[in-house]
This record gives sequence, structure tokens and C-alpha cells, in this order.
Amino acid sequence: MNNTLGWPLKIVVAILLVLVVAPLVVPVLMAVSDTPNIVFPPRGFTLKWFTKVLQNPEAQASFGFSLQLAGVVTLISLALGVPAAAALARYEIPGRNLILGLVLSPLVVPLIVTGVALLQLFAMLGSRATFMQLAIGHTVVCLPYMIRAVSGAYVLVNRSLEDAASVMGASPLMVALKVTWPQVRPGVLAGTVFSFIVSFDDYPISMWMADGAHFPVPLYMHKLIELSFDPSIAAVATLMIFFALLLILIIEKVFGISIARLAT
Amino acid sequence: MGAVTGGIAAVSAPAWRLRLPDNAVGILLIAPTVLFLLLCFAWPVLQMMALSLTSQVVDGANVEGWTLGNYVRLFSTDLYVRVLLRTVRIAGAASLLSALLAYPLAIAIARGSPRMARWVTVVVVAPLLVNVVVRSYGWSAILNRTGALAWLLKSSGLADNPTPLLYTEWAVLIACIHVYLPFMVMPLATAISRIDRSVEEAARIAGATRTATFFRILLPLSLPGLSVGISLVFSLAAAAYVTPQILGGNLSPLLGTLVEQQIVSLSDWPFGAAISTMLIVIVLGINLVFLKLVNRRFARWTGSAR
Repeated sequence: MNNTLGWPLKIVVAILLVLVVAPLVVPVLMAVSDTPNIVFPPRGFTLKWFTKVLQNPEAQASFGFSLQLAGVVTLISLALGVPAAAALARYEIPGRNLILGLVLSPLVVPLIVTGVALLQLFAMLGSRATFMQLAIGHTVVCLPYMIRAVSGAYVLVNRSLEDAASVMGASPLMVALKVTWPQVRPGVLAGTVFSFIVSFDDYPISMWMADGAHFPVPLYMHKLIELSFDPSIAAVATLMIFFALLLILIIEKVFGISIARLAT
Repeated sequence: MGAVTGGIAAVSAPAWRLRLPDNAVGILLIAPTVLFLLLCFAWPVLQMMALSLTSQVVDGANVEGWTLGNYVRLFSTDLYVRVLLRTVRIAGAASLLSALLAYPLAIAIARGSPRMARWVTVVVVAPLLVNVVVRSYGWSAILNRTGALAWLLKSSGLADNPTPLLYTEWAVLIACIHVYLPFMVMPLATAISRIDRSVEEAARIAGATRTATFFRILLPLSLPGLSVGISLVFSLAAAAYVTPQILGGNLSPLLGTLVEQQIVSLSDWPFGAAISTMLIVIVLGINLVFLKLVNRRFARWTGSAR
């Protein structure tokens, strides 16, 4: 049925795909321009903007901090989310729909509002623990992704395989490790990857709580756009675009997770 | 015999389930998450909504007590009303235009060859992994006075001195459409791929043109996906902060920028809380309209395709 798509549609799709990619290609072109200002089309070829950015201690600190934060947030999301997903998929819980609503509502309430609300709470409590504030804020947002991915996998687990294993004399621990875990693993993996990405990319929560010593990459990038005018911004953008490409490759090829699930 | 079946039942139920009733295990497993979200999400959000009704800043001093003053101020000040209208306008235009652009892409994903479907999906969704600051920056590099679009227009002779789009509502709109397009394409593609192909084939065999097939079959039957897409894109665009900030500058702020100004620059927490509450109301309203009312309305048409 490939012939259902007429050539006018194919041309429109091609144009749209070019438009989707354009804002990701233009910064890459500009990043190699051997000019003191950002110009299009780029003139000459240089990699000096990349070395400038990579050697910048602020940029390094931001990148390291974002990795650390996303790692901690993903661990907390795993610890909270995997048992919660198991409970939602397997057990009859009183007030199940209410709980489901609570778990998914951070995806509905605008992130910027969640951020303000948390900032107000922390101000009221007199908290100055910036890292903990950021970790809590990010976890609120990452948890729904984790629970959705893991409970999706849990629902698909073949219960009769578990029963068969225990009839054959496997201990509950053995059943969990050898029968249930391999079936749930793809969901846990997807949840881990998504929660890491959501935390690493977050802007609207971080903007309220970050300070000079805790400055995630997206905030750093925004600051750079506002303060500097040479192609090093384009170089940072390029590095982040290549980082995303690398992520896509790892997610799709190594983990076998479709990135399309991020948008659904 | 009874002893044997009893033995199997005892073995097949994991030991820990014998000690605790199922209910209790489930509650224990989910309790930490529920507590965490109640304390660190539901409570602060409700607290903030309450603040917008119980406090007001008058001449720089906080006045406690029930009040609608923050909302009166929001709806009676020309500047704020303009920002509110701009937000609704941009979110509305972004969701409608992205629907228009998403249909060809969704059809290619749902009805194209597997190879085409895969490529279109990857290209459409991949930008989601690129930080939104970078994507917005990409548009500012295209739309500014010396940017790629200006160069393209000049070198192709279409315009000698094109007006730069950067720092206008148009720039904000274009970037919002790009940033949120995947959230429109994917639900649409899912909805279209659920439509029975034989309905289209029947229409084509009966002599309907491709255009007629689209308007009479694909469009009405994909309405559930469209309403999911519209409510997602509208909600996300209405609450956008970074994209309008980078592409609109201070000349076309949206509600998100207003919240940030009130709280960070002016420390007017109650008014900032009122604008935030307004954002929640807008988002819940659009979700209610599109996911509940519109879907119920069209359920008659789409019953078999869902």
C-alpha cells in the first residue's frame, strides 16, 4: 500500500522535514565560521570556538553539574517509581484513579508553575540546600515518565510464566529475578533514559532554584545567548546537538527503545 | 488430594504474600511516591493558588486577607490583558498551524512504507532530545537580521532589505510550532494508523480522489488524535518561557515571562501566584474542552476507529 502516498504529499513531507532540521543545522554551520561575529553564510573554517568552549571552566562545571543532577534524579525516580509502577499494575489499591491522577498531574500542570510553587515552599521552609531543591523539583517531573514506562512493561508481564516457575519450585526471589525482571527490564530502561533526559534538559524548574554554584547546562546556554556574540554560542549549541544525536543512536541501537515514545 | 492441591496453592503464592494481604503490599509499594507527590507537588501548588486569593501587595506591603484583588488587577490592567491575549493567540495559532503541518507527516508515518515511517518518525521526534534552548537559538540564528533567512532572501533576489523577524510575535510563533510539533504528529499518526485501511481503499475504488478521501475519511476519523495534539500543543505553548524569551525578547512576553518578572524582579508573590493560577486554569480548560467535550461530541463518528 505504499502507493497510497501521492508525490505531492511526498514533496510536502520532504519540505517539512527540511524545516524541522534547519534550526539544528544552521548553528552547526555557524560554529565553524572564522569570524569574530556570528554570520551566515559562515566564512572560513576553524575549530577554535569549540576549543574555547571546551576549555571554559564555567561550561565544564555546568556540564558536570547537569550530569550529576540528572544521575541523582534518575536514581530517586527509580527508587520511587519502580515499586509504584508495580503497585499500580499488580495490586488493587484503594483510590487507584485518584492516585493515578496525582502521579500523572505533574505532566499537566505547567512546569514553570510547578517551579514557582516549589520555590515558594522552599522559601517558606527557609531551605538553602540548592542541590536538594533542584533534585526534588526534577524528580516531581521525571517520576511520571518513569512510572508510565515501567507500569506499561509490568502490565505486559506474562503471569502464567511466573506461576509456572513457582509451581516448579522456584523461590519468590528466583521468580522475581529470573522471570519477572527480564520482562520488566525494557520498561525500566526506557524510564531511566527518559528521566535522565528530562532532568538534563529541564529549564522551567531549574530557573527558579539554580544559583551560581549549581548552574545546569540549559541555563548556562541561555546566559551565553544573552551575554556573548561570538560563534562560541553556536559551538555550544553544536556540541549539544551532537550530544543529542549520540543519545538517539545509543537509545535506538543499543537499548532498542523507540524515541517516539518521548512524544506520547 | 486436598492436601496436594493445597500444597500447590501454597507454593504458587509467593511466601511474602501469605504474610501480608495483597492490599497492604500494594499500598506499601506506592506510599512513598504518593507521599512525595503530595508534599512536593500537590501541596505547594495548592498553597500557591491559595496565596493568590489570600494576600495582596499594596504599595509594596503585603496585605493579608481574602481578596480577588490580584485577579482584578490582572484583568483590568491593559499591559497584563495584552500579555494574556498574546499568550492565548500564540498558543492557539501554534496548535492550529502545527496541526496543519502535522497531517502530512502523520500520514507519511501511518501510511508510508516502513522505511519512510521510521525515517519521518526519527526526524520529527529527534529534536525533542535537543535542548529547547538550543532549538530556540537555532531559530534566532535563522531569523535575525544577518541570519540564514535574510541571506536566503537577499541572495535569491526576493527581498533586498528584509525586515528581521527576530523579536516579533512571528518569531515566537514559528519556534513554538517547531518545538511542539512532535506532540501533534505522534498522536495524529497513532490515530491515523488505527483507521481501517479498507475504508480508504473502498473510497478510492468507488472513485474518490485523494483529497476527498482525506476530508471525508482520514480527517473525521483522526479527530481523537487531533484533539489530543491540540490540547498538548496549546498547553505547552501557553506555558512556554524559554522560547518566547529567546525569540521575543522583552518586546513580546507571554504569561510565563510575566510570572518570572513579578516574582524574581518585583517580589510580588501573590500576583505571581495569580498569574500562575491563571495558567493552570487555561491549561485545564483547554484539556477539558478538547479531551472531554470534543471527544464526546465526535464519539458518534469515530466510535469504531478509537
